[in-house]
Amino acid sequence: MLNKLIPKELLEKNIRLYMFIILLAVAALMLVLFPVPEYKGYIDPFYSPTILVLPFVGLYRLTCYAYRKDYNRHIFKHPIACSVIGRLDDNKRGYTGETSGIFKIENLHRYFLYSAIAILPFFYYDLYISMFYTGSFVLRLGSLILATNAVLITLYVFSCHSFRSLIGGRKDCFSCMHGGKSIKRVYDSQSKINAHHETLAWASLIFIIFVDLYIRALVAGIPIDHIIFALVL
Amino acid sequence: MLMEKNRIKIRIYRKDPEKDAKGYFQEFDVPVEEGMVVLDAVNYVTEHYDQTIAVRWNCKAARCGSCAAEINGMPKLMCKTRIDQLGGVVSIEPMHAFPLVKDLVTDVNENYETERAMPEFTPKEEKEPWIIDEMDVLRSQEFRKCIECFLCQDVCHVIRDHTTKYIGPRHVAKAASLDMHPADSLDRSKILTEEKGLGYCNVTKCCQEVCPEHIKITDNAIIPEKERAADGFYDPIMMLIGKIKKRKNGKNVE
Amino acid sequence: MNEYKELDSDILIIGSGGAGLRAAIEAGANGASVVVVSKSLLGKAHTVMAEGGIAASLGDVDSKDSWEVHFSDTIIEGVFLGNWRMAEILAKEAPERVYELERYGALFDRTPEGKIMQRAFGAHTYRRLCHVGDKTGLELIRTLEDRILHMNNISVMDETLITKIVSKDNKVIGAIGFEMKTGKFVVFNTKSVIIATGGLGRIYKITSNSWESTGDGIALAFKAGAKLVDMEMIQFHPTGMVWPPGVKGLLVTEGVRGEGGILLNSKGERFMLRYSPKKKELDARDVVARAIYNEIKNGNGTEHGGVYLDITHKGAAFIKKKLPAMYEQFKEFAGIDITKEKMEVAPTVHYFMGGILVDAETCKTNIEGLYAAGETAGGLHGANRLGGNSLADILVFGRRAGLYASEYIKNAKAGKMGVREIEAEIDNVKKYIDNKNKGVNPYEMTDKLRNAMEEYVGIIRNEKDLKTALDIVYKLKKESAKCKVSGDMKFNKGFIECIELNNMLLLAECMIKSALERKESRGAHTRSDYPEKSSDWEVNIICNNVNGDIILESAAIPEIPERLKKILKQ
Repeated sequence: MLNKLIPKELLEKNIRLYMFIILLAVAALMLVLFPVPEYKGYIDPFYSPTILVLPFVGLYRLTCYAYRKDYNRHIFKHPIACSVIGRLDDNKRGYTGETSGIFKIENLHRYFLYSAIAILPFFYYDLYISMFYTGSFVLRLGSLILATNAVLITLYVFSCHSFRSLIGGRKDCFSCMHGGKSIKRVYDSQSKINAHHETLAWASLIFIIFVDLYIRALVAGIPIDHIIFALVL
Repeated sequence: MLMEKNRIKIRIYRKDPEKDAKGYFQEFDVPVEEGMVVLDAVNYVTEHYDQTIAVRWNCKAARCGSCAAEINGMPKLMCKTRIDQLGGVVSIEPMHAFPLVKDLVTDVNENYETERAMPEFTPKEEKEPWIIDEMDVLRSQEFRKCIECFLCQDVCHVIRDHTTKYIGPRHVAKAASLDMHPADSLDRSKILTEEKGLGYCNVTKCCQEVCPEHIKITDNAIIPEKERAADGFYDPIMMLIGKIKKRKNGKNVE
Repeated sequence: MNEYKELDSDILIIGSGGAGLRAAIEAGANGASVVVVSKSLLGKAHTVMAEGGIAASLGDVDSKDSWEVHFSDTIIEGVFLGNWRMAEILAKEAPERVYELERYGALFDRTPEGKIMQRAFGAHTYRRLCHVGDKTGLELIRTLEDRILHMNNISVMDETLITKIVSKDNKVIGAIGFEMKTGKFVVFNTKSVIIATGGLGRIYKITSNSWESTGDGIALAFKAGAKLVDMEMIQFHPTGMVWPPGVKGLLVTEGVRGEGGILLNSKGERFMLRYSPKKKELDARDVVARAIYNEIKNGNGTEHGGVYLDITHKGAAFIKKKLPAMYEQFKEFAGIDITKEKMEVAPTVHYFMGGILVDAETCKTNIEGLYAAGETAGGLHGANRLGGNSLADILVFGRRAGLYASEYIKNAKAGKMGVREIEAEIDNVKKYIDNKNKGVNPYEMTDKLRNAMEEYVGIIRNEKDLKTALDIVYKLKKESAKCKVSGDMKFNKGFIECIELNNMLLLAECMIKSALERKESRGAHTRSDYPEKSSDWEVNIICNNVNGDIILESAAIPEIPERLKKILKQ
């Protein structure tokens, strides 16, 4: 049973994989052990709306086509690069791709997409809170950072390949549908950002960590926040 | 204009499987002309030094896809790789993912067998002449640029390094080009998953990187087919809708 | 005793280009067992290089178009040398072949109404070329290839070279060839052979043709006793690349001029204004090719021996959208950005109008059971070919060849090749391989032939040059008997070069003799010593094989019936 669940790739001696798992575990532990309280209207995106959604977000990223490319290349070395010299892949190594065990979960990407879309509004709500926490409108550097974060994550989520399929990719014929022209236009625009899905995936990941560090710095008392504009009612 | 005739060393892989147990490299010294491509250098060698080198080429214009090879470890078309863009010694090997015929020539006929096993274009019954919207032809037309050089098959680690059911990027793109044809009545995503090992592709996108026609094989063919398969295999909502539709039609149409 | 395997079939098709595959589909659908052999891999034939489109009078864009207009365009552009019945069949059947191709799965560009898009091309009265971007030929081949692979009674043997078509009492009984991959000989016992091996552009140094276009099929047919027609008619495309040397001759599509490109000589003069004040750059291919040729000859050529083709004034966005393949081609191969720099172009050998003489209706040659279709067959295009008519040609006549061959085999009896004949042919082919003695390098020979054809049998010909060329061919013929390569039969390109050289020398001789014979200028055939068109020469020159010698005869062009004459007058 366990043999079926765990594909051969995971049973190989793989330092990179161990490091990755340790990194993930440490990061998760740190997030749980050292939660960031709300600081002057700033809510850390890792805790929005609650840290309990983190597994879904994590799975969305783990099953994402962009990250799949990266960890299949750099962690599992299937293959390590496109050059055919010095590849570490060969027939002696077990390989089942996405057909067996827990890798099958990669086929469920769209459900994690649904959960990611469900979480998205909270980032905008957080942005709103950060600007009105005093009761009147205050625009601070932190809000701009939160706004950037929200936009990057939105772009990342909506540039998803599963989303592309859902909004029209699964259809052979646009003109046969009601409003086919508009659907095609949406599909085409989405395809444009889809082409940058990998960049967006990494940009949004790096940025969310940056936001987390930024808020932690503020909590620690480092004065790096500035008021840009304030409207006193 | 070059003041002095430059020369370059090229190393050509030699092996006749019937005679040689192991392949070896033979080195040749070739004069370089402006704008010269790797195929020019190989042809120079066959014409001046050794006529027995087996090499396959046709159009010499990157239109037919005959001269696929591994140049300094990267799968490329010999006719499209400029010598001046490669430094030092140039090593040319055949596509090792296919059975070797001799030297640089491999037997790619297994691809025709794979193509034969793919359900062919099956049009819906419609009155002729067909009315097809321009916006519906573009997606399928991208895959129709394919020149069947099979570089994507060669670079794909599933085809090259493992033994699986997977048919390879070229053939998924072919299936996608048929599936996305607005007049086609079949959906090949199910057989792709069940019989043709689509799940073995782990989207590392090397096929897309080496494609000389710049077809986005992974993004536009493989992933959409995987998603279509997910509709039928892994998505309970879609499965339910499908079942209701089937029941409404009164019969199970495959 | 030599080793060989035997293969039985009803129909043997030589060539896997558009004509060969279309013929196979038709014959296969009629229940014949078909073997397709080709020199290249399946799907690599020269057809994939066709850019423009398939000429068919669908009238999807210009509703006034009809088969009558297509017919008269074809005959008039062929300077009345073309066979009227072939032109009529082509014009009438092309639309059905296009729709059929669509049913097979080809996906053409569309009009806003969702019909098949058609583009304008030189000397077509209306917009008529059904296309798939600038890769129409590729789509055509892929579609037919897919169809063939799904038909059970058709088998494909690619990378097999036929060296002899065997006939007995003026009737085909089989063919002999060898598999390149194994080097083993194969004897094909068959009732009928369809030749669809394409053109012979490789006889020239500068050509847009692929490696395989060495006219093998035409030579095979001639050796088997078939008649050849219009051998002097070879089309030069006005614009081929000249730099870098590796891609010299590679086609620069007519579309560049169609989209507004202008031709300039090294002095910066737009010389077409002098040669053709009305149509300028968009005159017929032979006119533009001759103009460019003259400019270069008169010392107004560029550094690399061409003229400039300039489309920079159209702007980068326009060029990238309308001519993506050309933009890519110049960027990849020459390192030239055509949106900013001028292209250098010169005429390049492009298409062979002549070929095997066939019956207009059935594609049958003068030998029972031997058929020919496509560029290999002559007669349809006369003295000049319209762009797009070649793709229509391979579909229309490919189908007809397959159809009539499959009709023929129903009542034909299979013959049997004599063992002695097989042995003799195998020995004859094998003689080129000799690991002990060093002979003549076949590549050097071909190079000499190509240079001679380029220099003396080019766009503008005269008696002196042609005779010089003929002398060279005779000399090469003698020397080529000493051609030797080392190694074995297995995928030995030098060995194949020997066989091709043999074929090319034969065809070169036919071409030069026919060109000497035609003492006038008509279409693609221009004689500086006979610069005018003459009504005395409204005849086809036919090459006969009389005991291995080339004997010319002239045959009157079949007279156009009254009903079609009326169409031409309109």
